[in-house]
Amino acid sequence: MNRIKKILPSIISIILAFAAGALILLLSNFNPIESYKSLFNGAFGSAYGISETLVKMIPILTIALGTSVAFKAQLWNIGGNGQYTLGCITTVVVCVYMPGPIWFKLIIALLASIIVGMIFGGLLGLAKAKLNANEVITTLMFDYIIALFLSFLVYGPLMDPDGHNFPQSKLIEKEVLFDKLMIGTRLHSGLFLTLILVVLLFFFWKTKEGFRIKMIGANPNVARLSGISVNLQIMLTMGISCAFAAIAGYIDVLGIHGRLQDNIAGSLGSVAIVVALLGNLDPIGIVFSAFFFSALTVGGQCMQRYMGVPYSLVTIIQALVIVFVVASKIIVDKRSEK
Amino acid sequence: MGSSFIISLLVGTLRTSIPIILAALGQVYVHKSGTLDLSVEGTMIFSCLMSFVAAALTGSLTFALIIGGVSGICYSFIMAYLTVNLKSNQVISGTALTMLATGLSSYLYRVVFGIRSLPPIIENFKPINFGILSKIPFIGPIFFNHNFTFYFMLILVGITWFIINKTSYGLKIKAVGEFPRAADSKGIEVNKIRFQAILIGGLYSGFAGASMSLGYMNTYTDQMIAGRGFIAIAVVVFARWLPVRVLFAALLFGFANTLQMRLQSIGVTVPIQLLQALPYILTVVVLMGVSKYVKFPSYFTQPYSRDKK
Repeated sequence: MNRIKKILPSIISIILAFAAGALILLLSNFNPIESYKSLFNGAFGSAYGISETLVKMIPILTIALGTSVAFKAQLWNIGGNGQYTLGCITTVVVCVYMPGPIWFKLIIALLASIIVGMIFGGLLGLAKAKLNANEVITTLMFDYIIALFLSFLVYGPLMDPDGHNFPQSKLIEKEVLFDKLMIGTRLHSGLFLTLILVVLLFFFWKTKEGFRIKMIGANPNVARLSGISVNLQIMLTMGISCAFAAIAGYIDVLGIHGRLQDNIAGSLGSVAIVVALLGNLDPIGIVFSAFFFSALTVGGQCMQRYMGVPYSLVTIIQALVIVFVVASKIIVDKRSEK
Repeated sequence: MGSSFIISLLVGTLRTSIPIILAALGQVYVHKSGTLDLSVEGTMIFSCLMSFVAAALTGSLTFALIIGGVSGICYSFIMAYLTVNLKSNQVISGTALTMLATGLSSYLYRVVFGIRSLPPIIENFKPINFGILSKIPFIGPIFFNHNFTFYFMLILVGITWFIINKTSYGLKIKAVGEFPRAADSKGIEVNKIRFQAILIGGLYSGFAGASMSLGYMNTYTDQMIAGRGFIAIAVVVFARWLPVRVLFAALLFGFANTLQMRLQSIGVTVPIQLLQALPYILTVVVLMGVSKYVKFPSYFTQPYSRDKK
């Protein structure tokens, strides 16, 4: 019963968001049933569609796990895009420019991505804790700054000398990249790494450190009185949160991109926020909502191709899901209070 | 180089500051009343598109500007309802609404204008001719050669200063952000004032968005606002919620933006992307530098209800 009560607002929100989407489609002279059918078929209609949904799910899920860590502590890290890009840059730099055996490159790139993410997040946490700098604005501004930095790299120092002046870096050697799981698809073994992270985070919440993070979110004053160093926790939380997004970049570079390109993050960061919230900030819930939203992303591209419906409809539905989740949770809470 | 470079730098600074100042002025009301409204960015995107559509369909810029303001109010109505009535988390609501506006505006633009080989263009606000004043050396080209949105912005700085500092309404707004309980006991309807403040913020953001498509550019693109709404929030904090200071604080960002464009056009060898990052870097630096030393409204981001402590 309790479980259903928790999931119910999410389900209702999704239905309402799709209903609103249908209304928008109707008003703009598209057939909503046909459009949604094409969306569904794009995501689930073929083995390739399903594999693409899983491929897209990997970064969305990984970033969303990180987002959920920060949100639990009431720290609003919304700069997933920038942190993902940092992971991508680090991985490409290590794998292209560092000599060494394959396994060594893979491990160093992973460690380097985690460290870059931790340091970046830790510094933003420090700015929040010591300087009171609002993390929403700082994480977001760094999205712009890092995107421009990436652009600078691929047009400048990291540009592939044999790439006919395309804004992209050298390709990482084939042997270093993750193996494909199914022939003819892009699904790669990075999926397992993501699932391991889900399990790790699940158990992390049962540890002392996980409890501390939840506590500074629930009530920082009580946390302080019970001897928890709140400033240190803020830095740690932001560090862990950013590290997840950086790992997502690591996985995607080795799994699908193989190199750096301009605007590599797309809109992953904002989707991850929706996914984390819809999943109730719970690792298992996030797996389901990540799968759902990546299906929406893949299907939305299909809907644009075959039905001519602008892809932005997917963005609208995603945003509406959060708006409805926020509203319905409060309404459900109020009811249960009575 | 020389004086013409400096003049173009100063003119550009004033010009690029207009949308940031307009949005930041609105946020003075919103912040002071105790709300952090991150939907500013979204409201700007939405009203930027709406005013552009209005201008493209009717050809009347005054009408389009009004539409910009009205759509700003309408859009921020959602934010007000979510955060004041439902007391939902302000950060999440604001982020969601910005995302919604991004999707909605991009969708509407494609539905209204279709896919064209050339983007639709409007006749935008032209510089006002002040006759002899525009000819005064140095001062003329810098202050008397702007379009309507610049002078409109200056008027709003004055109005905002007056309302916040000289009217009882301004006092009420400050009261509900500083001491909501005390304000309530004096018969001020806390949530009503907060709701109104968000709508006023929406009006200003609406004008800010409209000034982008009607004054700054003559076309619309999805990435046009590019974080200016968020920069405006940093500007208000930097300006310590004082309307006249908002004007000067925003000029700093306008300057960073213009410097970046002018340096590019005279062919400085620093990579373009690093120059483009200048306004964003400045925002982070400013926020880190001042946030500790300014006094936020005491009940900033905290919803108010009578029966809860």
